[in-house]
Amino acid sequence: MPENQSSSSKSTLLQLSSSDAYQRWRLLKDKIVAHAVVFGGLSIILAIVLIFFYLLYVVFPLLLPAHAEAVNQYSAPEQALGKTVFLSMEEQNEVGVRFTDQAKVIFFNVADGATIRIDPLPIPEGVQITSYAHGGVDKGVIAYGLSDGRALVVKHAYKLSYPNDKRVITPSIQYPLGQEPVVVDNLGQPLIKLAVKLGDKSNTLFAKTADNRLVLTNLSKKESLFDDEVSWERIDSDIDLPSENIEFVLMDKEQRNLYLASRSGELSVIDITDKSKPTAAYKLNVTSQGIQITSMEFLNGDISVLIGDSTGLLSQWTIVRDKQNHYSVQKLRSFKVSDSPLVTINPEQRRKGMLVADTQGVIGIYNSTSEREAIKEKAFNGKPIAVTLSPRANAMLLETEDAKIHFWTVENEHPEVSWSSLWEKVWYESYPEPDYIWQSSAASNDFEPKMSLTPLVFGTLKAAFYSMLVAIPLALFGAIYTGYFMATGMRQYVKPGIEIMGALPTVILGFLAGLWLAPFVEKNLTGIFAMLFVVPVVVMLFAYCWQFMPKTIRNKLPEGWDAILLLPVIVLSCWLAFVISPGIDALFFNGDLRIWMLKELDIGYDQRNTLVVGLAMGFAVIPMVFSIAEDAIFSVPKHLTTGSLALGATPWQTLAKVVILTASPGIFSAVMIGLGRAVGETMIVLMATGNTPVMDLSIFQGLRTLSANIAVEMPEAEVNSTHYRVLFLAALVLFMFTFVVNSVAELIRQNLRQKYSSL
Amino acid sequence: MTTEAIKTHAIDISALNRGSKTTNDKFDPCITVQNLNLFYGSKQALHGVNMEMPRKKVTAYIGPSGCGKSTLLRCINRMNDLVDGVTIQGKLLLDGEDIYDKNVNVAALRRRVGMVFQKPNPFPKSIYENVAYGLRIQGVNDRRVLDEIVEKSLRGAALWDEAKDRLNDNALGLSGGQQQRLVIARAIAIEPEVILLDEPASALDPISTLKIEELIDELKEKYTIVIVTHNMQQAARVSDFTAFMYMGELIEFGETSELFTNPAKKQTEDYITGRYG
Repeated sequence: MPENQSSSSKSTLLQLSSSDAYQRWRLLKDKIVAHAVVFGGLSIILAIVLIFFYLLYVVFPLLLPAHAEAVNQYSAPEQALGKTVFLSMEEQNEVGVRFTDQAKVIFFNVADGATIRIDPLPIPEGVQITSYAHGGVDKGVIAYGLSDGRALVVKHAYKLSYPNDKRVITPSIQYPLGQEPVVVDNLGQPLIKLAVKLGDKSNTLFAKTADNRLVLTNLSKKESLFDDEVSWERIDSDIDLPSENIEFVLMDKEQRNLYLASRSGELSVIDITDKSKPTAAYKLNVTSQGIQITSMEFLNGDISVLIGDSTGLLSQWTIVRDKQNHYSVQKLRSFKVSDSPLVTINPEQRRKGMLVADTQGVIGIYNSTSEREAIKEKAFNGKPIAVTLSPRANAMLLETEDAKIHFWTVENEHPEVSWSSLWEKVWYESYPEPDYIWQSSAASNDFEPKMSLTPLVFGTLKAAFYSMLVAIPLALFGAIYTGYFMATGMRQYVKPGIEIMGALPTVILGFLAGLWLAPFVEKNLTGIFAMLFVVPVVVMLFAYCWQFMPKTIRNKLPEGWDAILLLPVIVLSCWLAFVISPGIDALFFNGDLRIWMLKELDIGYDQRNTLVVGLAMGFAVIPMVFSIAEDAIFSVPKHLTTGSLALGATPWQTLAKVVILTASPGIFSAVMIGLGRAVGETMIVLMATGNTPVMDLSIFQGLRTLSANIAVEMPEAEVNSTHYRVLFLAALVLFMFTFVVNSVAELIRQNLRQKYSSL
Repeated sequence: MTTEAIKTHAIDISALNRGSKTTNDKFDPCITVQNLNLFYGSKQALHGVNMEMPRKKVTAYIGPSGCGKSTLLRCINRMNDLVDGVTIQGKLLLDGEDIYDKNVNVAALRRRVGMVFQKPNPFPKSIYENVAYGLRIQGVNDRRVLDEIVEKSLRGAALWDEAKDRLNDNALGLSGGQQQRLVIARAIAIEPEVILLDEPASALDPISTLKIEELIDELKEKYTIVIVTHNMQQAARVSDFTAFMYMGELIEFGETSELFTNPAKKQTEDYITGRYG
């Protein structure tokens, strides 16, 4: 800056000694700090928004609709070798196979229909094929029933090899029961209906013969103890049942139940657990008068039966056991597919879904658990003769009457998820009634994932409720006493002391709660409840007696230090509660409160229960609620309290009518922050609740919270699977919950602050 | 300071008080202070104060900052009890009863001795509820009674015309002067005998101050008023009696007209002529 200019504007000593550079530096610092603060604030908002969108990004595919697309269409290969009776394809969607009515197996390229290999099956001379059956779509087992009362069981299998780093799939035909057909009917009558299931140790074949007998053959494997020799033990039995009308026969993979249905809608279930003595278990009509069954198939797992009828309705039936241990066959749900008869049903091999087709070429893909219609399209004109979904349910082959094969791809990643399967009661297979269940995974593919978030939300709220029940009274009364009555000298120690409680890692609290507190509470349940009565009574009694103490003793205690006197009293009364608890047990509860509750009130007791969580999480929430509430109460302006006292109010009136009112925004936000903490808390609930996703209001039952569920299951969830995404959905729900609670709390707090703040 | 020294002072001042008393024949003491010593911890804030304040008159305490005039005022409704480590010796009689007696109900005493603070301190409630507060504390919840007393008190505090249309508005929306009159209305609602005013106008603008002073003039017809003020003109304008305090001691007490025109003590003269303080 030019010399003359600055000297003209600077006259006083202050102006002279304060340099322009310093003034500029001061302004610059101010600006930098302002920008840094804005940047920090925006970063926080950005981080929260990013978390939200990341959760949404993972969850979003759950909401996407399924999609199917026709890829190619070609004539069925080698039509001269017969009509297709069974169509299938292997896992990679490269090799398809069709079994013909002339006992030829044709493997072909799925993409263009080019023949890969033809396997003629060894049907003995002079014998006709009279029936077909598959032994589970996922097993690849096909059986041909023959006119001489025998059946040929074959299996299509695929071998993967990588010569020259290129995947080569080699199909083959195997004969699990040998190349020689197995005798099913000892009388040698043609088998006109057939069902077969192969197991590790036991194989069962069932047939209806041309002369309307129902015959069952079981071959069980006997391994010699001394050498590797395998022998087959054979059991034959007849099922005595009118069988003229039986049109559809199914046997479950456990080889325990036979499902026989007539066209007119009559379903019989035969218990074949004892192969030598089949017994008729249930008989019922599954369609209304005049409506015919047009197809029947198992859902994956062979627990429930899908029945398609002539009106285009697909219904799911299963054997359920009610509370009285009484079994019955119940309809779980039904899907209206079209108005035409449903001629073929093909279950998904790894999920509880199925592909259905009607006589008009309308196909539908459904999921039973979520009751979701994933796909419904008119795929072609006319009637399908065979349909199949690939093992991964991402492609399908449809063959029409004019021997055209349609190859479609299917995108149906998350059919198990729907609003109803997440939040509403779902009637799961084998369950007596619709229920809320969280049971996300099991070892086998047959398992029906039960992903209801309701029990988790319930558990979260229940844990939060009980811990708030413990924390709020203690924290708020403590805060009121500390902030309003306690002497400053004592407050100096009490407040940081309680705040340090909050620094205790929750994993330690959870550890103590699970391994020490839970067994302790279990052992001393009566003592814990006795404490609830004994401690207040003794404290009141002590306070009452204190006023009769000689003045010389009373005056030794400075005002506001009264709490310190209560410490030994509380310890003593707790001890007293535990001492008298065996007496209470003996006097009122026949010696044991828990057994008494179970017998008299039908209240069960879990060791890791909500009471333990309430105590432990209450302990974790108290410091935060206490600290914020105490600050609010302590910072009520002194001129308000003195103003109230000067008007002749007692300290208690002043507290109730002025202090709490003025501190209400702070107290409210303390409670809400405590609630947010209780809802999001993970380690304590993880370790102390038992993680049982039950919906039971009882304080003696365990629970599972959203947060603990994520912590437990996330490490084992397959990335991008439905389970994984549903866990993210749970996280999103948790996020939204805390976000909404905090936002509402903040709004209410601002409102209260405007109303009651006098600062 | 030794107790002996305190005693000497006490004797000094009681002699002075008697002197002023003789100047007024109809002197009817409402509040009598007898040999009052007050300690904050080990620091003595009041030294053997003796004085008698007349009924239904305005008594003003003047003196430089820290002279103990507010402390003395707060002794009258035992607000000093709220301060940690305060010890009080001596007697303070209200209508002949020692308010520091062990059997005195402090809350009841404070109902009889209302107080208005330097900074207006309305509660964060409506105007109506502020005035009704003292009544509700006494268990009065009858709406008709409350309505009547609230109106009477607001009229008494010259706030009715300004506030009658917004009784349910938050009191914090009033201006400082209005708030102070609201606080006075709140104090007179419970019909005290004495009203203590602790620099009631020091935070207000001149017009509001004028209104408060006019109000004090009206209030003394019903109440015994004790006012602490920094402003000597104000003391001269509103009070009948004035006490001049210095360093925790009562230097001079007498009729305002006399004390301002013809102070008995050199210290008083120095102060009122502006030589210190």
